[in-house]
Amino acid sequence: MIDFEKLKEVVSDILAVDINNIDENSSSDNIDQWDSLSHIRLVMAIEAEFEVKLTPDDMMDMLSVKLIKMILEDKIDI
Amino acid sequence: MIDFFKDKTIKTPADYAKTLSEVRLVRERLIPINIAFLSSYTSEVLNPYISVELAKGGYFPNNYFAPFNQFEQEILNKDGGLYSPLPDVVIIHNMIEDIYPDLISNFAKYSKTELDSIAHQIIERHKAILELLRDRTNADILIVNFSIISIDEVDSIYSYIKQQKNQYIQEINKKLLLLCNKISSCHSIDYMNMVCKVGAQEWMDRKLYFMARVPFSGQGQIEFGKILAETICSVKNQPHKCLVLDLDNTLWGGVIGEEGMSGIQISEYYPGNVFKHFQRTILGLRNQGVLLAISSKNNLDDAIEAFQNHSDCLLKESDFSAVEINWNDKATNIQKIAKKLNIGLDSIVFFDDNPTERQWVSDKLPQVKVIDVPEDPMLYGKTLHNCNYFNFLSITHEDKNRAKMVRQNQKREELNASVKDLDSFLESLNMIVSVGLSDKSTLERISQLTNKTNQFNLTTKRYSTIEISDFIKEGHMVLYISVKDCFGDHGLSGVAIIKRQSESEWMIDVFLLSCRIIGKKIESSFLVEIINIVQGKGATKLLGQYIASKKNHLTKDFYKNHNFSLINKEGGIWEYDLKSVPKKINFIKTKRL
Repeated sequence: MIDFEKLKEVVSDILAVDINNIDENSSSDNIDQWDSLSHIRLVMAIEAEFEVKLTPDDMMDMLSVKLIKMILEDKIDI
Repeated sequence: MIDFFKDKTIKTPADYAKTLSEVRLVRERLIPINIAFLSSYTSEVLNPYISVELAKGGYFPNNYFAPFNQFEQEILNKDGGLYSPLPDVVIIHNMIEDIYPDLISNFAKYSKTELDSIAHQIIERHKAILELLRDRTNADILIVNFSIISIDEVDSIYSYIKQQKNQYIQEINKKLLLLCNKISSCHSIDYMNMVCKVGAQEWMDRKLYFMARVPFSGQGQIEFGKILAETICSVKNQPHKCLVLDLDNTLWGGVIGEEGMSGIQISEYYPGNVFKHFQRTILGLRNQGVLLAISSKNNLDDAIEAFQNHSDCLLKESDFSAVEINWNDKATNIQKIAKKLNIGLDSIVFFDDNPTERQWVSDKLPQVKVIDVPEDPMLYGKTLHNCNYFNFLSITHEDKNRAKMVRQNQKREELNASVKDLDSFLESLNMIVSVGLSDKSTLERISQLTNKTNQFNLTTKRYSTIEISDFIKEGHMVLYISVKDCFGDHGLSGVAIIKRQSESEWMIDVFLLSCRIIGKKIESSFLVEIINIVQGKGATKLLGQYIASKKNHLTKDFYKNHNFSLINKEGGIWEYDLKSVPKKINFIKTKRL
């Protein structure tokens, strides 16, 4: 399992959104700050905080907190 | 650094993002600064890093990132984002692979003629960009030079063709640096320096490069932000003037009072070579214009013996502009040094291996910058460089010769002590004051003096080279003096800016002398020359201003003592009756350049 609180924290820090407003369903569709630039920052932040390497495919797929969580679980649980 | 950053770890992108949100809440404690980026890639990713790093240096930036690859368009568009608000700093970063993709990845395809022509085009284009920008803003311009590595080559061996390519790009970088030196307030930033700090393998992130046109990894962006912020701070803050050093376990290993000259560690071999290396680093700073001083608890004779007779001790007594070797406390000694060198405590940096001494000096003299010296002497040089107190982005002739000039000044003072009557002493100096009108070659030094001079400065107005060159264009008079005497040349050491208010009325807006020529009545000679010059221009009215500051008390009665009358008390405006003939100082020769 990945540390979901930590993931929420990273998303909240990078997007400058209150952590209480972040849940699994948060995505680029419902958070204004989640634009293409923030997306790049989010990718770098997740790589650094979770010590993983993300691929271009991961980068294109991680469009919501839920999807990020799934991608991370894939990488970490194996 | 504001206390806000104490005990904070800021390492990862998330740390930076979080800290930036927090910094926004304390922004009123920071100095606002407008920064504009012109780049050939998406530079906006740098925002959190440069912002947080600048906040550490006391600034809160308002960053403008121009759309990528719009150099000329942005500079030419007067109503565009680049000029609103007016930038304090413009950063230009044009990556060579964005202009000529083949140059980096397919270098072998080019002939020598083609390469020469491309190099010429690159330099001409940047010359035009920099000149246009210089013409349109007063901002400090920072241009990042060209990278010699490509994304595919970072960790492979350097073949012949790669070496040729590297040399070719370094040649272009050399020309770029020369170009920067010709444009005022324009500095080059070395790209490879940043790559080396992070390590070539960590510098790039292929997915960011190919998916988002971002030419560096997260780690690379952080380092880039740091270097940019440190460079901006160095541009905005004047470098410190004096390095005060301890002796035992700082300039050599061991305690000279205990072990004697033959017992201290300084030699060609470990551990003595560590200290010898550090002495070289210090000499390097001295040759850039940093004044050196000693504050050490020792017997004077022991220490002097090492300087005079130890063949591996590279530093000599004559390299130091002030020496306080005694058993007094170091805060008192540093105050003495400041007084002797005529500099403020805030321009002194203190380096001592002993934490107790450092604490004492920090507590007693909070203005002095106390370096947090590591225990390992092998790290001394690195620590001194990393403190960024002595970042000279441009070095003038006067900087290089500062230590020598201070030494000459001290000889003069020794003579001063032996001569009783001041005028006859001054006469014996055989002073020659040459008065000149500023031109391009003197702008940098003149601006430096307006920014650094505090004591003999009637109005303490700070002007950039651009502002001064504008004064000249607008018909105001920018005068300077160079002073020589029997001990040597003081160089350009006084400035007056006299503004033309109308055909017949002139106003002395700036009048200053560098501290090394104070107390010789040179100011009187300079003023007489100014009066003669404006009289020669047919003026009927000459005004002068005095604005009191914390440090310029010395000049309070300057106009009064030179027969000006106070006509506006609030504005500190004095008037000279141009019908009267000013009193010449007979023992100073004056020349017009």
